[in-house]
Amino acid sequence: MMKKKLFKIAAILAVAGLIIGVGVMLYMFNMPHRDIQSAKVDYSLTSTQIVSEYLSDKDAANEKYLAEDGDSKILEVTGIVSKISEDFNSQKVVLLKGNEDKAGVSAVFTAETNPNVSNLKVGETITVKGVIRSGASYDEDLELYENVILEKSDIIQN
Amino acid sequence: MKKTSILLGSLLMLLSISAYGQTNDKLVSSKTHMKFYSHTAVEDIEANNYASVSTINKGTGEVVFSVPMQSFEFEKSLMQKHFNSDKFLDTKEYPKAKLKGKITNLNDVDFTKDGKYSVVVEGELTIKGKTNAITEKGTIDVKGNTIKVSSSFNITLADYGITFAQGKPSTNIAKEVEVTVHSEYSAE
Repeated sequence: MMKKKLFKIAAILAVAGLIIGVGVMLYMFNMPHRDIQSAKVDYSLTSTQIVSEYLSDKDAANEKYLAEDGDSKILEVTGIVSKISEDFNSQKVVLLKGNEDKAGVSAVFTAETNPNVSNLKVGETITVKGVIRSGASYDEDLELYENVILEKSDIIQN
Repeated sequence: MKKTSILLGSLLMLLSISAYGQTNDKLVSSKTHMKFYSHTAVEDIEANNYASVSTINKGTGEVVFSVPMQSFEFEKSLMQKHFNSDKFLDTKEYPKAKLKGKITNLNDVDFTKDGKYSVVVEGELTIKGKTNAITEKGTIDVKGNTIKVSSSFNITLADYGITFAQGKPSTNIAKEVEVTVHSEYSAE
């Protein structure tokens, strides 16, 4: 009698454990991408500041801004709109760049945030929130300065 | 005396023309698409990147792609995390990959005439700090002021120090991955 009861409890526990285990696995596997726009801002700075930080010490800047698992720092960058274009994925790309700067911050928008760029004009000063993907540097093969790349961007209203 | 001045003059002219030509020959593109595609019996995995910067030099045939590795996007966020981690591409340590090559049959391409030209690019591909020689076929599509480059080739992950001996990755990720490259340049 007692043995049967114990067995029953063990069986229930095992099944419950299995369900939880499978649930966690499924959750991990289907975990959604990080929602950049609702996440906390790690650093607020100007396009000139981050570009000069990268051009003076690329390694230190990568250490500070890039994460090992790709969930890198979320930035709020203020700068002058110097170019508006579109990439092969129909995402708007807004280049924030100071007139005296060698490189800028290339902010890539998303299908959801694209409409917010429609009224934007070159020369305006705006603030953009997004996740950093790579820094600015001079590339001797391209023979030009590469911009900081920010993705999942949106314009922050002040 | 007269002869030398004529010679000097024409030499100067030639120099200025070639200098002018050089600045004009290099086209820059930030409108690019790079795709990784892995096929196994278990699953197909793809990752897309739209943030590379590329240059092509019409005069010398040099082609360069600089690829920000953290811009590769996967459908599943867990895969993207794995891709970036130090066990796979280690994108914090190696934020950029690079393709640097030269068109070997540049004479077959007429950048001033609309048409599709088959080219062979010989050069090097650097991923995760490891450089390998590559020779791949590609297409250059000239249409007015727009020049499009496309290519598709396979790379062996182990050549770039990307290996997985056990677990899910070893069964779900192909040993050879297909890389597709597109870029669009416009002469300004």
